Amino acid sequence: MLSYLIFTLTLGGIYALLALSLNLIWGGVGMVNLGLAGFFAVGAYASALVALAGVPLPIAMLLACLIGAAAGLLATFATIRLRGDYLAIVTLGFAEVVRMVALNERWLTRGSDGVSGIPAPFRAELGVDGFNLLYLALVSVIVLGVFLTLRRLDLSPFGRVLKAIREDQELATFAGKSVTRFKMQTFALSAAIAGLAGALYGHFQTYISPDHFQPLITIYIFLAVTAGGVGRPVGALAGAYLVVFFLEATRFLGELFTVLEPGQVAAIREVLVGLALLCVLHLRPQGILPERIAPAPKPETSV
Amino acid sequence: MSSFTFSRRGFMGGVAGLAATGLVPHTVMAQDSPIKIGALTPLTGSGGPYGPVMVKAIKAVAGEVNKAGGVLGRQIEIISEDDQTNPEAGVRAARKLVDVDRVSAILGTWASSVTTAVAPICWESGTLLATVSGADAITALPHQGYIIRTQPTTILQGRKFGEFAVEQGVKKLFFFSPQTPFAESQFSNITKAVKAAGGETKSLIYDDKKPSYRSEVDEMLAYGPDVIVLGGYATDTAVLLKDIFRSGYEGKKIAFAYSVNQKLIDSVPAEIVEGIFTIAPSPAESSSAYKRLVSLIDVQNPDPYTTQVYDQVNLVIMAIAKAGAADGKSIRDAIRSVSQAEGGAVVDNAVEGLKLIAAGKPVNYQGASGPCDFTASGDISDSQFRYEQVNGGKLKLLKIA
Repeated sequence: MLSYLIFTLTLGGIYALLALSLNLIWGGVGMVNLGLAGFFAVGAYASALVALAGVPLPIAMLLACLIGAAAGLLATFATIRLRGDYLAIVTLGFAEVVRMVALNERWLTRGSDGVSGIPAPFRAELGVDGFNLLYLALVSVIVLGVFLTLRRLDLSPFGRVLKAIREDQELATFAGKSVTRFKMQTFALSAAIAGLAGALYGHFQTYISPDHFQPLITIYIFLAVTAGGVGRPVGALAGAYLVVFFLEATRFLGELFTVLEPGQVAAIREVLVGLALLCVLHLRPQGILPERIAPAPKPETSV
Repeated sequence: MSSFTFSRRGFMGGVAGLAATGLVPHTVMAQDSPIKIGALTPLTGSGGPYGPVMVKAIKAVAGEVNKAGGVLGRQIEIISEDDQTNPEAGVRAARKLVDVDRVSAILGTWASSVTTAVAPICWESGTLLATVSGADAITALPHQGYIIRTQPTTILQGRKFGEFAVEQGVKKLFFFSPQTPFAESQFSNITKAVKAAGGETKSLIYDDKKPSYRSEVDEMLAYGPDVIVLGGYATDTAVLLKDIFRSGYEGKKIAFAYSVNQKLIDSVPAEIVEGIFTIAPSPAESSSAYKRLVSLIDVQNPDPYTTQVYDQVNLVIMAIAKAGAADGKSIRDAIRSVSQAEGGAVVDNAVEGLKLIAAGKPVNYQGASGPCDFTASGDISDSQFRYEQVNGGKLKLLKIA
């Protein structure tokens, strides 16, 4: 049971990084990135492949961030004129492109066989249990670091500009802010975090394949950010852990309903995920920990 | 207007309560607690049509053994999880089976990517993994004997497709397939067989989620084949077949039996599928195990995966009895002594097998999917194949060889 909890928490941490990444770009600038799984995949493949080529793990993970950021820049560059639904569709397309490349460029990615035997840090020295614990600590520290950074960013002038862009792009331009530059910076940072999450996932699982990066995971992360509260890093963080616990907890429902066929239990689990999202949207559309918008300061009145 | 209030505490409490339901049954541990075996099948996702029947077969066998008194004086409990035909979800499910339920074996992983993702968890925790996946790379993993596979390798399957095409007098063969772990190996083994007979081949890998395959079909027509081989799954093959029919292609078509199955045949107009040959690792249909399986789960023509998991669960249960212990390592060490003991009494189910084992006699299991003899790397050493042809909306048996 303990090792299962450790595993679930580690995975929760990786989901949390993805949720923070999405919250930055969606909650911050208001750009809908349905291609999250694509950046996740880019990071996972980048780190796994260079690590297998003999590059030390910290450098491999750093490279995953950089390549993720580069992919993010590329994607923003291609979509800079798009907003709202159009951007969403294009980013969804980007994720599928990544998956297709991973599936078909066998020389690089080993195709649908996937990349197995990805090095895991200190796994041989620590044994399986020790490694899992170490990795949980590593992921948690990284999540905490990224969270604190993003929170700082959120409260800084940079964060305020992002929200200004989200609320009214023209007005932000009018106020002298370079919208394009802010968008590109933010998208690159967001993609880098998703890439880092991918790298952490790959080295944890020791195996990745194109099947890992189906749009399903993007949907889970959207669920996490929506449930947690769009626009507030702590909301995204809480939402991600909540989603992982929800996904895992629903497994145990089958044991309560022994009359149901296994196929029905599985279907009910999927229904529950959808229902949970509907409930959150209906009962608390702003999320569990909604964004706090400070009231505008009162204009100074002359006495 | 009333408004709902939805407190954070209430929500968190609910989720925690939900999570805690999982803790309850596992705190009870007794000497004669049941032996737990995991079923990890695709209940949703693209493998969704197969999983539920597979679990049904596994549970039916366990029920039958339990009714006869269980194994080692303990009952068998089957714990089913859904791998969602997705390796990420499959790993989470496998973790739960291994860490929470402490199953000694996991049966039935279907998609090759799921099997490869789950395999390290199994060999590191000393859990036996019995799979129906076809990718050659799986048994090449460093699995220390913890993987056994009842599905013939792609090398064998590809050769059978090629040889059958040669029997049909192939000159130019065109191979359609989505990108699967076995597409490349399948094609190269088909090519080997066809080239040996003086023919030639060409392959096209397509995206299995497209709504139409006109451009792919045009490419096929440009090549002018007299035999085409369809390497896809049911959903994409149905779409592809419609476009092939529209194109007016009149040559022969060969497909996997798992894609052109009765369900697909019933779902499309008859002329689209008429005359297609299907090949599958043959469930040993004439075997007594197969007949038992049919009556046990009350499903006519169970698919190959169901016959395979039926064999897997029977083998695991007998291996537990043979080893006298229910942990994964003991099962691993004992499984070949019940699947292929030399001079062993031939059995087709665990209930009979357990009696013989209790009497100290060697057994040699002959299953519903075939003889179930395993090589050192975990592959089955021999399999029969079943050749059928669609005839008037029904599959007609040509031969089993």
